[in-house]
Amino acid sequence: MLKMTEIKKVFRTDLVETHALRDFNLHVDEGDFVAVTGPSGSGKTTFLNIAGLLETFEGGSYQLDGEDVSHLNDKQRSQMRNEKIGFIFQSFNLIPDLDLFDNVDVPLRYRGFNAPERRKRIEQSLDLVGLANRMKHLPSQLSGGQQQRVAIARALAGEPRFLLADEPTGNLDSKMANSVMSLLQDINDRGTTIVMVTHDQELARQAKRNIYVRDGKVSELHEVSELPDAVTA
Amino acid sequence: MLEIGPIFRALMRNKVGAILIAIQIAITMTIIVNAVFIIYERSQKMQRESGIDEANSFYLSSAGFAESFNAKVSIKEDLAALRQLPGVANAIQINAIPISGGGWSMGLQTQAGAEYDGVGVAVYMVDEHGVDTLDLEIIAGENFSPSDIGWRETAQRLWPDKIIITKSMAEALFPDDPFETAVGKTVFINDTEPMVITGIIDKLQAPWVGWDRVENAMLSPENLNYESTRYFIRAEPGQRDSVMKNVEEFLAESNTGRIIRSMRSIEETRERSYRGDSAMIKILTTVMIILTVVTALGIVGLASFSVNRRKKQIGTRRALGASQGAILRYFMLENFLISSVGVFLGAALTVGLNVLLVNQFDLDPIDWFYIPIGMVILWIVGQLAVFGPAKKAANIAPAIATRTV
Repeated sequence: MLKMTEIKKVFRTDLVETHALRDFNLHVDEGDFVAVTGPSGSGKTTFLNIAGLLETFEGGSYQLDGEDVSHLNDKQRSQMRNEKIGFIFQSFNLIPDLDLFDNVDVPLRYRGFNAPERRKRIEQSLDLVGLANRMKHLPSQLSGGQQQRVAIARALAGEPRFLLADEPTGNLDSKMANSVMSLLQDINDRGTTIVMVTHDQELARQAKRNIYVRDGKVSELHEVSELPDAVTA
Repeated sequence: MLEIGPIFRALMRNKVGAILIAIQIAITMTIIVNAVFIIYERSQKMQRESGIDEANSFYLSSAGFAESFNAKVSIKEDLAALRQLPGVANAIQINAIPISGGGWSMGLQTQAGAEYDGVGVAVYMVDEHGVDTLDLEIIAGENFSPSDIGWRETAQRLWPDKIIITKSMAEALFPDDPFETAVGKTVFINDTEPMVITGIIDKLQAPWVGWDRVENAMLSPENLNYESTRYFIRAEPGQRDSVMKNVEEFLAESNTGRIIRSMRSIEETRERSYRGDSAMIKILTTVMIILTVVTALGIVGLASFSVNRRKKQIGTRRALGASQGAILRYFMLENFLISSVGVFLGAALTVGLNVLLVNQFDLDPIDWFYIPIGMVILWIVGQLAVFGPAKKAANIAPAIATRTV
């Protein structure tokens, strides 16, 4: 599903070069649920941005769903994001002036679905996250957990094969975090591949596989059952 | 896919800025459309032809002051000599200058009697050279002959028995008949004095450019036995300026018992007469430009503010699959919707202001097509103004969606 080989990413200013990723290698199979952990500044977000085609990279190769993405132009990358990737952000990133229906509708419009098809998908995905009865509410009228559920509904409405979650429970209390995590596991059980970046080791343990990133490299790769105490602490 | 519905609903939830811009667009359109209409009317007025050869004609005043000054003799000698000067096509004495702002007017009526209303007419007293000197065309009837020309004394009230009138005057006097049938008909001046129309000229404007009957004029076959008088001279094409100099020197030297003054070309006279209209056009044009720029800047300001405020939203849209073109279209469409509210409101206000101007200042009602043209122009201004901020929005990187600050 996702295959990164020797990926490099350097951020440059006039004075400094920062190697955010160095020879980054990762292979994620279809149906996998991978948690990416690591300290601040380790390169987790850069990895997520490159994996989600939000940023370009400078060396190595990246194949997403069997397609080499290194030569895609901006429009093709946008289209691939829209069709194959669902995003869940730490701050939910809902559009405050749009109600839940219109928020979930955003990626579907870019996909070019007709109105009945969009309505069906919006209703189904909001129903899946338990918010079908609040379609006309604004994000500000919901709790943090509910807002993240709407963001998940938005990510799922296009039926992507690959879900990228950036600290999906980072802004939630533990009860809501567990609820969102359980929803992600359900989604994964239905066959959607998930890569989740998180600081939370407890949360990471609920994924099928963990990788630990340090200094822009994958330093450890574990099945959850093999996680050492040092990593999970 | 166009996002009219979501954009409109989002605007409705956050409408203060949009409403202010829409009102600004409406006011701008109201003022611009009415201003353009006024400018067009003034331009049309300024472009009207006077009927005379403006490029090659000029005039001057001659005022006798010496005790020995004999006006009749002086005028005869002056005209005879002027017509012989090199570069002079023809010259006449005249009582008033077309489009100069000052002249004589009378009323002509088709029936004798004080109970009948006359039609206002500008009076030009000229001899048989008048038609040629003024470069007029007789389209019916005939010119004056030398024997028709009389001398008008300063206190004289009686009028000659022949006149030549403009086509417009003929149509005003006899609205139901073809203009050429006016030749040979008798009209009355001073209620009861008969005058026979012996000729029709195509065009000659009155001295007063703001008069609503500016096309009504008549030639009366007279020289004026006045010590202070005017000469109207038409030069050969392209020689006006040199002829003006020569004429002034000649007249000054030929008779030292009078002074020559107020020599002016017709082109200068036109410029002076329409100076108010010209100033009005400049002022309105300046106001239009300023208003348009201010409105465009307002749109740029609102759009830029909106882009800066929504950077993360834009990044999120990009992350969710929006292409740069889709983001560009989003902001262009948003502005189009705001502008649409503005221009439709502006259309209503334009009509309202025009009704007010028509009632208060006697302007003509605005032609209907000014309104859709104004709407389209304001739409275009809006789209041009928002293009820069929209392009900036389209360039926002999708990675901004994952930034937490």
